[in-house]
Amino acid sequence: MTSILDPALLDPALQALRTQLEAAAAAFAGDSAHLGALLRAMIEDVQRATAEPVEVFPVKHHSPASALHMLRRLRARAPKVIYMEGCEDLNASLAGLHHCRFPVALQAYAPEAPAFPVDWTPLNVVLPLTEFSAEYQAIAYCLQNPGTKLVFVDRSVDHVFQWMPRGGPPPGSDDEADDGGAEPEEAEAEAGEGESAGNTGNLHGGAVGLQIGAMQPTFGDFLDVLLRNAKVRHYSEWWTQYVEGPTLACDYGTYRQVFFLVGSLLRRIGITEKDRVADCERERYMWTRIREHMKAHAIDPREAMYVCGAIHAVSPIPEFGSKGTAWTVPAKTPTQWFYGVVPSSYAAIERQFSLPAGEISIAQSMWDKGLQALDLKPFKIEAEKKESENKPTVRKKAAAPAAASAPVDVVPAAVSGAGLRDFLTRPPTFVAADDEQLMRWCVEIVRLARKNGYTSSTADTIAILHTATLLARLRDRPHPSPYDFQDAAVTCLEKDRVPGRRDVRRLCQILLGGDRLGRVGYESLPPLAQDVYDRLAVLGVNLKSSRIERALLDIQGRPELLPASDLLWRLRYLGAGVRPIMGERTLGHKPKQESWDIEIGKHQSSLIQLGYEGLTIEQVLEKRLKAKAFEATSRAAKALEAAEDSVLYLRSGRLTRELGLRATELLRAELGGNDAPEIFQRVRGLVHYYRTLGMPDWIKDFVSTGYRHYATLLPTAFTDRGTAPRQLAAMLAFIFTQEALAFSMGCERSQLLIAVAQAEPDDPPKIALRWAAQWILGQRSEDEIRADFQHLLHSQWLLPAFPEYMAGFLLALEFTPRISRLAVEFLSRAFAALPDEVLVPWLPKLVVTLRPLGSGVMQTLVKEAGLAFPRELGKLEAWEFAWDRSVPVAPPPAPKARSEVKPAAALAVERSPVELAVATLLRAEPATLDALAGLLGVAPTWTPLAGAPEAATASAAEAEAEPVAEPVASAADTPLAQLLAAHPEALQALAARLQALT
Amino acid sequence: MAKKISTPANIESAAPAPATAAASSETKLRMPAEEKYAAELAYLASVDKDPRPFAWRLSPRMIRTFILGAGPGDSFDRPIAQKFFGDASLVERAIVTLASDRGLLLIGDPGTGKSWLAELLAAATSGNSTHVVQGTAGTTEDHIKYSWNVAMVIAGGQSRESMIPSPIMTAMQRGEMGRFEELTRCGSDVQDALISILSEKYITIPELRGDESVVYAKPGFNMIATANSRDRGVNELSTALKRRFNFVTIPIVTNKKSEKEIVLFRTRELMARHTISVDVPPTMLDILLQTFADLREATANTASEDQRLESSLSTAEQIGVLEDALLHSNFFGDKALQPGTLARSLVGTLVRRVPEDVSILNKFWHASATETEGVKKRKKGEEAATSAAPKSDKSPEWEAFVAGGKQALTSFK
Repeated sequence: MTSILDPALLDPALQALRTQLEAAAAAFAGDSAHLGALLRAMIEDVQRATAEPVEVFPVKHHSPASALHMLRRLRARAPKVIYMEGCEDLNASLAGLHHCRFPVALQAYAPEAPAFPVDWTPLNVVLPLTEFSAEYQAIAYCLQNPGTKLVFVDRSVDHVFQWMPRGGPPPGSDDEADDGGAEPEEAEAEAGEGESAGNTGNLHGGAVGLQIGAMQPTFGDFLDVLLRNAKVRHYSEWWTQYVEGPTLACDYGTYRQVFFLVGSLLRRIGITEKDRVADCERERYMWTRIREHMKAHAIDPREAMYVCGAIHAVSPIPEFGSKGTAWTVPAKTPTQWFYGVVPSSYAAIERQFSLPAGEISIAQSMWDKGLQALDLKPFKIEAEKKESENKPTVRKKAAAPAAASAPVDVVPAAVSGAGLRDFLTRPPTFVAADDEQLMRWCVEIVRLARKNGYTSSTADTIAILHTATLLARLRDRPHPSPYDFQDAAVTCLEKDRVPGRRDVRRLCQILLGGDRLGRVGYESLPPLAQDVYDRLAVLGVNLKSSRIERALLDIQGRPELLPASDLLWRLRYLGAGVRPIMGERTLGHKPKQESWDIEIGKHQSSLIQLGYEGLTIEQVLEKRLKAKAFEATSRAAKALEAAEDSVLYLRSGRLTRELGLRATELLRAELGGNDAPEIFQRVRGLVHYYRTLGMPDWIKDFVSTGYRHYATLLPTAFTDRGTAPRQLAAMLAFIFTQEALAFSMGCERSQLLIAVAQAEPDDPPKIALRWAAQWILGQRSEDEIRADFQHLLHSQWLLPAFPEYMAGFLLALEFTPRISRLAVEFLSRAFAALPDEVLVPWLPKLVVTLRPLGSGVMQTLVKEAGLAFPRELGKLEAWEFAWDRSVPVAPPPAPKARSEVKPAAALAVERSPVELAVATLLRAEPATLDALAGLLGVAPTWTPLAGAPEAATASAAEAEAEPVAEPVASAADTPLAQLLAAHPEALQALAARLQALT
Repeated sequence: MAKKISTPANIESAAPAPATAAASSETKLRMPAEEKYAAELAYLASVDKDPRPFAWRLSPRMIRTFILGAGPGDSFDRPIAQKFFGDASLVERAIVTLASDRGLLLIGDPGTGKSWLAELLAAATSGNSTHVVQGTAGTTEDHIKYSWNVAMVIAGGQSRESMIPSPIMTAMQRGEMGRFEELTRCGSDVQDALISILSEKYITIPELRGDESVVYAKPGFNMIATANSRDRGVNELSTALKRRFNFVTIPIVTNKKSEKEIVLFRTRELMARHTISVDVPPTMLDILLQTFADLREATANTASEDQRLESSLSTAEQIGVLEDALLHSNFFGDKALQPGTLARSLVGTLVRRVPEDVSILNKFWHASATETEGVKKRKKGEEAATSAAPKSDKSPEWEAFVAGGKQALTSFK
């Protein structure tokens, strides 16, 4: 076992390899000096890493080969301590990994970070873990075996951000592809914009992603050459074919050396200079930490294992190794970090690290296959058993695998450089062909395709198999890889693209395992999330489901659901994966029934992040509301909104009062009326709401402050061009509508009187507003206002300004519906008097002015207009404006008149004396009309003429003949009668004729 | 066996020798791929050691090399140029399909290089790319199977001699690749004549008796069809026929780098016909590519069909524009390509429908082309390197280009 650590044993073989490579370089490359130097350096890297007393374990992220070797290595020889690449402070969140369904991600989160640029916050780092990664196996092993300690040694999360270039885009957002898409700290954050609908790709949100063992070449040209020569499309495909597959089954020593070699290649020519510098920085950090830890705990370097990306394993820095030079770790910023576990998903990982889609599921299938082939049992992080039985089981477990794995374990690391040499010189051994698996895939994909609406059949199965084999041969592979299979399936199955149908590539991904969404178990959740789960349990929906769950709350029938409803509203306010479908929450609204879409299972991470901010949802909500109201730039309207939200969501009088007082305070300091419209709306709502419950003093305080404040501001607001008429109107509205409450708080109207008297507006809308205010205050009579407007209409020079006056006047509707009659009057006059060139351009503006006033105002206006205008066409002739009548007598409204007439009696139409005379005459000489009625086909019956002279008939024939024909129905309702009433000329002529005849 | 009557294909098909290539370039406006690249093909065949399916001239791997070109890693004695620019896996899939039991149907927008790829594939597999049936609305089953030389039938009755085999039948008889261009342009009944050819691999001639009555396909025969994705829905393939074809979709090239290569490659080739050797200034090329990229983006962002140009804005379209501009400046201008000329060619090429296309281009020209800065800003610096030159709005080429385009647009009134 010590052989691996003994450089003396290694050197000869590697030396031979080195000589051979140098010879090759000389033979093949014209410029052999460079190539030779490179190859030599690479071999030296391998030698150096192999010779290091601390067992360096090179890995690549999500690499099944690494995981399998880790598994076997740990079974064979357990180190005392495992140092791992990974932010050192993430150690804190390891404990939360129990009870989780993988993939999950370790998270560090800082809601506030004053030390960093403002647009970076909240700082968020995730480190996704999948089950088939070496790091997972190591973590699982250490969690099961307390004898081995796991220590993360990489720079802390804080340093991740410290070392990011300032002034760039916020980390985690869609970053500019600088060189190869990778940030110095391998944070290839690709997430950010664009919600990918329906899948979990955006799960990490704007977090910065970290990986253990990132090995992505970032130097574009290198990557191009690599891919072109290997005839593959992605780097991962290259990796799978040339490194992953061959190392899967080889022995541990060879595995290490191959990884060192590839790491060295990438490090030397595959990554950009920027990345190389950043890598060195991190390696210094890691080795410094390792040495510190070993010294502190008196650990022999030989008993330690260092798990890191292959790139870091071959670092040339002087600090490398257990005997490296010292280095001082830079200080952290005082940022406070929270640690936890959030769910992740394959799609999210692929997206975060810009891997080709389906990559992780392919890795998983390789892992499963490898486990099966090597007959291994992986380590699993399992929920801790009860304390009493914990220890024995662990021991047993630790012992059992060792025994079981003994036959499996291949040459426990008795390794010489010959391994690598053999590996490089023999033709690549690929994973043994698995025809059965390929066949199964072919059958499955056809079945799946058929299920998804493709017309695929057994013939396609054969064709796919055939094509896949041919493709593999074309691409120098003895056996089709999953990529070949995918291409073959697409070639043979996809005939045309139908929108809405899954394409074959996607089906292949589903077949190979598909996306998998991780879940953090209840026990590992922060208290806030646990609390939410507990309190929502009453709804009876599956909160762990990754689909949308619909919850129906019949609060009236089951009042015990009300707290759950409250909680859902709070969650919605905080944006944690719930959405109301039916139901509302407004001031004073008593919920009866609600229905909700609950997606907590999918958005678990947002809930977990809330958990960093407080212990309960209420606490977080309170914090947020307070932050909103108390931040330095807050305004009265915002604070008032927070107060209103606190009433809606928290029902905490104390908090509301605090926020309300803050709003008052802010209002007092405000200099203009910019927010007046919003403040007015909110205050009106709140006062209305509190009227039934009893006014709390803060709202009284706010109203009286507002009254005084706005009254003080009025003179300036009237003259100041910066205050819009709408804002001025809102100020007046505040004053007039809340006047009663303000008076009860000791305000006085005299203040307002003086203020209005001071106002000397220049703008037409404000002048009109002032008139309205004065009218309410009794300083100006209706007639005076009318005279003012008449003056406008009659002066040719003022006429074009009329619409502006009107606009201002209409704004007053908001606080006094009383002026609506005047408004209707003026509008009518305007329509009558204004010339087209003023009227027509004004009309759209009028609509725009009226719209924000709300439906209530419009209703009053329409009602008023209805009273002012005649209801029936027949009355139009005799009609005149109510305000035009010299005597302000209100004529008996038409409907009233109608209700007075007897049902059998005729029309509610007045008759002139002439008509009355005609009617009397007709009754005296009925013959003509009888004949006419005979011709029309109705029985001639004469109703006696109502005795009183005012009772009348409109015109002879209609009045007398019709009602008789249909005595029951009101004559005015028959179509004929209406027609006749509309066109009385004919009958009038007839009547005149009759009169002439007599 | 082959009948001299059918197509010019047969006249040519007698093993194109490399020596004749130079001579025939004088007599032929356009040489088929197998003649043009005869030397390359012969070389590749000589170094090819891999097994060849059927009677193919080259192994699949060599065909791949022939089409996609060889890199330094392949260690060939002569350069093999890249002839088709596109996803390598697409070509691989096409080659593999030909080796399998199914026909190959290349689908794509006009101008994406379907026919070119088909020609290359046919040339590489069978050394003859001229067994072509052009699908039109007037294509009949006779064009796919066979017809009769009426005079000979009257004289001597129906026999193999009096039969005129179609290009496809000829390909079957020789074990070569048959090509069917624009498959979806002909009616479904005519298309379905292919079904039996693709599955049974023989054609029966009921008019003849005995052994004569069936024409069997020799190994190596397969079909390469092309279809235009713009024609989708006009003559939908029957399910039975679909099943016998593997569909390979050729996307419009959107990668700037490879598009640039294609445009240069093709334009050089076209210009060589006129023995004009031109150097397209890189800025001109950038202007052209950028304008097309912007036009594509604008097209993609419009909802209604009316707001789209009729042109598919493919790479072939760009080549057309550039060729037009080059010829114009060569014959009528001062040899060097001027931005104004380019703009006029662009407008002239893209305007197909007079009121509609002009107004769309007019809008584009004034919204996007003049404010290239704004257009650039929206796409994040992915093409920082390429767009660096035209990005500076003041560049005189851009201004001349914009002015030329406006001038060309006004002339449409």
